[in-house]
Amino acid sequence: MHMLAILTRLAWRNLWRNHRRTLIMLLAITLGTWAMIFMTALMRGMVSQMVSDGISALPGHVQAHHPDYRDDPSIANLIGVSDTELYERFSTAGFRQWATRVRVPAVITSEYDSRGVTLIGVDPEREDGMTFVDYDAVEGRFLESSDDKGVVIGRKLATTLNTELGKRIVLMSQDPDNEIADRGFRVVGLFTANVMSFEEQYVFAGKTTTQDMLHIDDQVSELVVLGDNYRDVEALYNKTLELIDDGAEVKRWTEIDRFLGTMLGVMDGFVLVWIIVIFLALSFGLVNTLVMAVFERVREIGLMLALGMRPMNILGQIILESLLLLAIGLALGSALAWATVEPIKEGVDISYVGEGMDMWGMSSTLVPELLLSDVVLANVVVLILGFFASLSPAWRAANYEPIEAITKV
Amino acid sequence: MNLVFRLAWRNLWRQPRRTWLTTGAMVFSNTLLVFMISLQFGMYGLMIDNTLQAFTGHLQVQAPGFIDDQKMRQTVEGIVPLANELRGEFPDQHVAARANGFALISSAERSYGVAVFGVQPEYEPRVSTLPGLVATGRFLEDNDATEIVIGAALARNLKVGVGDELTLLGSGKDGSFAAAVVNIAGIFDSGIPDFDRSITEIPLGLFQDVFYMNGSGHHIVLNNGGISGVAELKARVEATLPSDQELAVHDWDRLQPGLQQAIKADMSSAFFMYGILVVLVAFSVLNTQLMSVLERTHEFGIVMSLGLTPGRLGRLVLLETAIMGLLGFLLGTFLGGLLTAWLSVNGFAYPGMEEMAVKFNLPARFYPEVSTLSLISGPMVVFLFTIIAALYPALRLHRLHPVEAMRAV
Amino acid sequence: MTAVRCVDLCKTYRQGEEDIKALDHLSIEIVEGGFVCLSAPSGGGKTTLLNAIGGLDKPDSGEVYIAGRRIDNLSKGELAELRLRKIGFVFQAFNLIPVLTARENVEFVMQVQGVPAAERGQKALDILEEVGLEGLEDRRPADMSGGQQQRVAVARAIVSRPALVLADEPTANLDSKTADGLMELFRELNDHHNTTFVIATHDKRVMSYAKRLIRMLDGRIVEDIAQDAA
Repeated sequence: MHMLAILTRLAWRNLWRNHRRTLIMLLAITLGTWAMIFMTALMRGMVSQMVSDGISALPGHVQAHHPDYRDDPSIANLIGVSDTELYERFSTAGFRQWATRVRVPAVITSEYDSRGVTLIGVDPEREDGMTFVDYDAVEGRFLESSDDKGVVIGRKLATTLNTELGKRIVLMSQDPDNEIADRGFRVVGLFTANVMSFEEQYVFAGKTTTQDMLHIDDQVSELVVLGDNYRDVEALYNKTLELIDDGAEVKRWTEIDRFLGTMLGVMDGFVLVWIIVIFLALSFGLVNTLVMAVFERVREIGLMLALGMRPMNILGQIILESLLLLAIGLALGSALAWATVEPIKEGVDISYVGEGMDMWGMSSTLVPELLLSDVVLANVVVLILGFFASLSPAWRAANYEPIEAITKV
Repeated sequence: MNLVFRLAWRNLWRQPRRTWLTTGAMVFSNTLLVFMISLQFGMYGLMIDNTLQAFTGHLQVQAPGFIDDQKMRQTVEGIVPLANELRGEFPDQHVAARANGFALISSAERSYGVAVFGVQPEYEPRVSTLPGLVATGRFLEDNDATEIVIGAALARNLKVGVGDELTLLGSGKDGSFAAAVVNIAGIFDSGIPDFDRSITEIPLGLFQDVFYMNGSGHHIVLNNGGISGVAELKARVEATLPSDQELAVHDWDRLQPGLQQAIKADMSSAFFMYGILVVLVAFSVLNTQLMSVLERTHEFGIVMSLGLTPGRLGRLVLLETAIMGLLGFLLGTFLGGLLTAWLSVNGFAYPGMEEMAVKFNLPARFYPEVSTLSLISGPMVVFLFTIIAALYPALRLHRLHPVEAMRAV
Repeated sequence: MTAVRCVDLCKTYRQGEEDIKALDHLSIEIVEGGFVCLSAPSGGGKTTLLNAIGGLDKPDSGEVYIAGRRIDNLSKGELAELRLRKIGFVFQAFNLIPVLTARENVEFVMQVQGVPAAERGQKALDILEEVGLEGLEDRRPADMSGGQQQRVAVARAIVSRPALVLADEPTANLDSKTADGLMELFRELNDHHNTTFVIATHDKRVMSYAKRLIRMLDGRIVEDIAQDAA
């Protein structure tokens, strides 16, 4: 313990001997650390928003469909268990939120134009907060009940179809007998979405109304379950699997959107690679600084050895010096990262590349996500790698021959 | 060899380890930059080409407003003669006319809402990769035949094959009911189920007939082969267009704003990373050169008392830095080039890339190409910053007084 | 008791084309409480002998005993421990750790030995006073004169009461008055604490303090005389 105290004191004082060199290095480490954490926070924010947008469009953390539905999302592939039965099984299971939906491709026609869309028949009370539509932000109103006779469409789609609130549109799809099933609806609400393409693709109607229109009594296309954390859906998955009992195929969201699913893993990999790359760029300067420091101190290191300090202690002193330097830089860099993320934590407007972000599946507001685990990761990785980078110069110092070191002029 | 140069060279190798470590930082960054820039720009190129060649083309002539509203009524009158005229005017361009609408497409068993494109069978293969993707059957041949080409996923969902009959139901240009019965000529497979499920093509003549177009269409595509020279072409096309109807010419950036923005968004994060790397290298150089100048204070004092001006000494320091920078430049470019060249043969992939690739019209394995631009642009910037970093130590020499300097150890 | 015994030591350096015999079958015995001066022209082998005794350098052949214990075959770590506990060193120059104050330099060895803070602090102050550096305890080496630095080195060498103090040209950088003061201090310690001193020097004044004067030439002892110290 006393040895550590001496070594720390020596390391600390030596660090400030050449304050210019130390300050430059410190600046570099601080900048590097800031870049590691700041960039990671931005990327994390992007990905997690992408994932949460993606999940709200999918939607749900775990979903159940007819086994063929994913390849052929049509009216023919409905869940084998009736909606009533599903309600009995799931309503007592204690899920945070769950809902069933009718979800089929349809053609929407206004008096001017028509478009292909995805018609989603929902039960608005059970869907609140589950879809990407914020009920309160809907122009007009969102659906009020499962048998609401209105329809809610995206603002962009309304423009394309040249329609507006209160106007009538026709939705056309098919029933299980492949007869054209169509119905007129009044547009009661216009929604906006983070991801622009959603505004063109999705159309919401009441679930019962939709079932009536499609002539499917008490049947649904999908069941969605929402848990507390999108990163961990195993328990949710198993429970759903058990409840659905062969009535449908159950999938985690990561399996449904493989792009999103892989993004999380890719992101974790990227964070580590980025930290290591920055460290490597720094390591040359770090090793250089240590080599210079050791070189300059040949004689005093020899002296310490002559006075009876063990080589291992010399090694420790140099490594400690390096770690101290890194630790200060890391602390400053982490603090700076926090200080720069804090003012923009509400989000940065990047709508100038909005459609590009749309293409990446991201929204045009970037909300950085500073994870403690990333900060810890950056700090720990840098300290560990810094330790290894310091070994070589430290080893050299420890192996000086005291006699040669002292007599060296 | 010039004396000053020889002096600079020898000074560098007084501390070979330090010089190598500093050069190492440059080599590391340069290698990384060459590799990343090659990869990045290669990907952008592919992304642009694949996306534009697939369907959009580099330039489109449309009715004003069509690009935003995509309304059936926003047409180009007499589109075929106009396309012919453009084809005559610009012999090195591939030109084709199209019309597009939406329809409910039904087989005996199923119905789906799809986008229907009317294309010129004779010219379409030159402006789009879709005809080449026809896997079974053939592409359209006759401009008036009642034929259709659909995607593999749609064929699967509709449970139909080549030669089967499909019914199209939609609304015509005037809002009236449009219907047709067509035979499947071919089925294409792009590998992207969503695309395959939503796009169909019929001959333009048939389209005009069915949707009551009266010889009009929606856009004329020009395929320029690549994105260079598009701006100039756009101006020439605009000048050529007849004045009897109001028309707009849009380049690919306007047609696919997401593309350019996705690249921009990706580029800004990439440039942030490159910037950090470059600055870290600059710090490393600053540190080394400052140390090297401080170490030589005594020596500089002597030569200054001999009559050498601080300016000349400063130039010496800059020359030393430049030599080091050049070394880093050459080695880094060489190693980066080597790595890229190796990848251009063996390909580059990382986990998760496959899922991302599909989203951006990219292959799952990527073969970056070595180009002069990607080879030197990154290292050039590093070199520049290296010199800038050495300015401070070099200018510091002006504060040196020979007598005081000589007293320094 | 014998403090130092060397038997048949040989050490050859290679300098350019030439082999230089720094120690040539040298044997010597120094009693506890001895005050020995080694004198030799440059390259005469006195520093080599001193380093061999201090375990800083290994002879090519021969044996070295400190207080009866053979040390020439010890490991680096054991030698470090020996130097730490038993031997005090004063070198010609560069004796102090630049980043530590006078007091911390003196405390350094004790600290490495593991002496409690309060005890070593007091000891350091006492010894600094003894060598006449009262009031300079918190200066760093760079802020002290050569003589002051050398006295700090002496204080460090003797503070933990080693049985043996080895000094290599301790007065080389000192003016004559300071040099006398230093030698007086050595003798005083020798008298009061029975500390053995082995001092390599070619300073006549230093030699005059010695109880025993050994002259070396080409790695051999050419003269070994007991004398009444001044």
